[in-house]
Order: sequence, then structure tokens, then C-alpha cells
Amino acid sequence: RVSSDGKPPKFQPPPKPVIIDRKTEKEESRFLSPEFIPPRGRKDPLKYYIERKDMIQRRKVFNIPEFYVGHVLAVTTANPLASDKCSRFVGICIQRGGTGLGATFVLRNVIEDQGVEICYELYSPRIQAIEVLKLEKRLDEHLMYLRDALPEYSTVDVNMKPVPRMDHEEIPVNKVQVRMKPKPWSKRWERPKYNIKGIKFELPEHKMQAAQKWSQPWLEFDMLREYDTSKIEEKIRKELSEELEK
Amino acid sequence: MMPIWTKSGEKHAVTLLKVQDCHVLRYVSKEESGGKTAKLLVGGKNVSPFSKPESAHEIFREAGVPRKQKVTTFNVTDDAIIKPGTPLYAAHFRPGQFVDVTAKTIGKGFQGVVKRWGFKGQPASHGQTKTHRRPGAISTNKAAKVYFFLKMPGKMGNFFLTSFGLKVWRINTKLFFFYVNGSVPGHTNCLVKVRDSKLPTYKDCNKNPPFPTFFADGDEELPEDLFDEEIFQFTDPSVTFA
Repeated sequence: RVSSDGKPPKFQPPPKPVIIDRKTEKEESRFLSPEFIPPRGRKDPLKYYIERKDMIQRRKVFNIPEFYVGHVLAVTTANPLASDKCSRFVGICIQRGGTGLGATFVLRNVIEDQGVEICYELYSPRIQAIEVLKLEKRLDEHLMYLRDALPEYSTVDVNMKPVPRMDHEEIPVNKVQVRMKPKPWSKRWERPKYNIKGIKFELPEHKMQAAQKWSQPWLEFDMLREYDTSKIEEKIRKELSEELEK
Repeated sequence: MMPIWTKSGEKHAVTLLKVQDCHVLRYVSKEESGGKTAKLLVGGKNVSPFSKPESAHEIFREAGVPRKQKVTTFNVTDDAIIKPGTPLYAAHFRPGQFVDVTAKTIGKGFQGVVKRWGFKGQPASHGQTKTHRRPGAISTNKAAKVYFFLKMPGKMGNFFLTSFGLKVWRINTKLFFFYVNGSVPGHTNCLVKVRDSKLPTYKDCNKNPPFPTFFADGDEELPEDLFDEEIFQFTDPSVTFA
């Protein structure tokens, strides 16, 4: 290089390398099953600690996959009354409830024009296998409105093959707007307290506006209802990763 | 409360009870107490000594123990007397044993007859004038008086209640807790008195209990977790029916 005054060029330190740690990025977006997070209350944390230990123990022996509401699952349970001593049920997960060992999930399917919902316990020893057939998230936290929707939205093929999926792909969100049967419904889903985004409301405008009368806009600013789980989640994630590596 | 599964796949609801700093405080002999058996005073949960006068601390000072929140009496036979000051642990019980649990129920305050005693009340419509949750008639014509034991509105809850014959499923010797079948009276984190069951069906149920109690500095070395035989342990594979 040609120097400006005949003096040697000023020492330019090399540019600092930008390290993108792929491992830490992946860990941040790792899934933590919602039943590990303890609810807000006055119970002794010892109870939740022991439940978590038991849950981790069960997960070491039996694989409970990551799934959300809207996934299509196939569950085989031990059934003393069946001929094969085991029964298989395929359905859409419409709700995940409970905390700790009593965590449950409800699968819905329509079999021979009859809607069937079965509530399974995640940690029950009678469950032989849980397979995720199709991964897709939905716009809402629960899909209870499928009971009042047209049956085509709840039907899942019983002999469906698992849809192949790459590990690093994000779980796709299905933004389908479900068409409903005529009213009356089991719950008034148009009301703002349910905050349902996945229904195509074909109701007249004045009815939709009348439903907004029951809105409670002050609820999102209520500080007593805030439950910040970020720190608790971090601790539990650490505990989980340590225990599962053992 | 949490669920527990047996080896045949049945689910039972279970309450977690924690043994927190229990010590024997005093021995009261049969003649002193005037009862049929000797008594042992036992205290639970340590609490600050500053909220009570010095006179109340005598028992604890004699036993050499910090002030306890609750002191209960246990009727004990002469061969089961323990020296005051010994700590009591969860390993005092054994899985498969049956137990009675006493605690003060949750206080509901002054309650009406429908909630307190489960009366049906009156219909909501069809001409009822100002009468929907009232007791109705309180006696008959011939009696010409109201009986003493009549169920009427009053203070509900906040009294001692015992649940009898609860099975012990699991005992932990390190963290001092144990699982007891079913529900237990009282609110969460309340103090509870646990005693060997005196129901006649469970008289001979307790095989080789630690007698008079489990001593931590003794020779016995127990594993961390003691389970009942029928419990499904999470280290086993899933249950199958042959």
C-alpha cells in the first residue's frame, strides 16, 4: 500500500469477529411444557419440586413429545376390555389443562358422524405411546368452539400417516377461519372475553357490536392479574436440562 | 394434592403432608393427667419466641427446643414413652399403614342453613314470598317445643375434624414428607395432627412399625423414598394388561 507521508501506515487492528452462537439461540426458543410452570398461589414450593422430579422421571422412561393445541395426535392406551388390550385414538388437541402430574389434554375427532372427545392424562401409566401426526399451531389457546363448528373441521382421518417435518423448521400457524353451525352455540363465542380469532363470524354487524358491550378493556391493565413466569421458566428449564442429561 | 397411580392403572388422589421440626416436649404420667394412659406433649413447626411472654416458654426451655407453633397431646402406652427433646421424623410411619388426620376446618363464618347443613330451601318462583333459603318448619305441633339439637344457621367451620383410616402411600426420609390417601381437613399449609388409626379394621395393619419412634442417630439406614407395594413407580415402563 502507498503511505501518505512516507511514514509506515498506522496499525489497523483486525476487525473483531462477530460470533453467532447457534446453540444458545436454539436454547432460548426451546419449548417448556406448560404443566411444569407452577400456578400462582400459597402452596409450598416443595410440592411442585417433588411433582417435577416425578414428571422428569416419567419422561426419561416414556417419551412425551412437544405439542400444542391444534396438533393432530395419536394416543395408544392400555385397555383391559379391548381385544388387543390396547386402544388407539386419533384426534385434534383442543385443550391442554392442569399443572404437575395431573396435566391433561383433550383430543377431538368425529367418528361415523359422532363427535368424540377424550381427555387423557399426560403422566398416566396406562398410556403406551403418544405420536404427533401433524404439527400445526392455531390462532387460539383452546379450540372448544369446534363443538359448534361444522363437523368437517373436527374430522381427522384415523389411519393418517405422520406428516414429515424437519427439526429446525418453525411450527406453522394455521390461520383457518372456521365456519360455525347456526346459533345457539354452547358458549357465546363472539363475546370479547373468549377472544377467539379462528372463527369466521357470519353474524350481522349489529350483533357483533352488541357483543362488544361485554368487553372489559381494563383487564389488560390490571396489575394484580399479572403473572410473570420468565424467571420461573428459566429456573425450571435449567433444572430440566440438568436432570434429563443425567 | 396430587394424583398417584397403582400398578393396575387406577388413579388415587393423595395429599402431601410435611413433618416440620417436630419434637417431644413433655411426658405426663397417668396419675398426673388423670386419664387412662400416659400422655406425651408434642410440638410442631418452629416459630419466633418474641410474640409470647416468658412464662409460655417454660415447656420449650425444659425440652431444649425453640418455641413451637402448635402443641398437641398423644395418649401413649407405658412402653412407648419417649424422652422429651427427641425429634420426630416422617419415617415414624411406614407405607401401607393407616392413619387418622386431625385439623381445624376452614372457617366460613356465619352461614345459613342451606350451606351449613345442606337443607334444600324453597323454590325460586311459583309464589314464594321472601322464602328461598330458609329452614322452614323447626318443630312439630305435638312436641310443643324446639329440640336442643335442631340444625339452625350459625358459625360454620373452624372446628377440629378428623379424617379416619387414610392410607400412607409414600414416605421420604430426606425431605420429611409423606403422601396420605384422600383429602385432609384444613386450608393449605395448616398444621395437622397425624396419629395411628384407631379404627377396628386397621388394628393389625401396622406390621413392624418403628417402635417407639424412628431415631435418626440409630443404626437403621433407610432409602430416601419408601413406597407402598401397589404404587406405580415412574421408573417402571407403562402398565399393560396381559
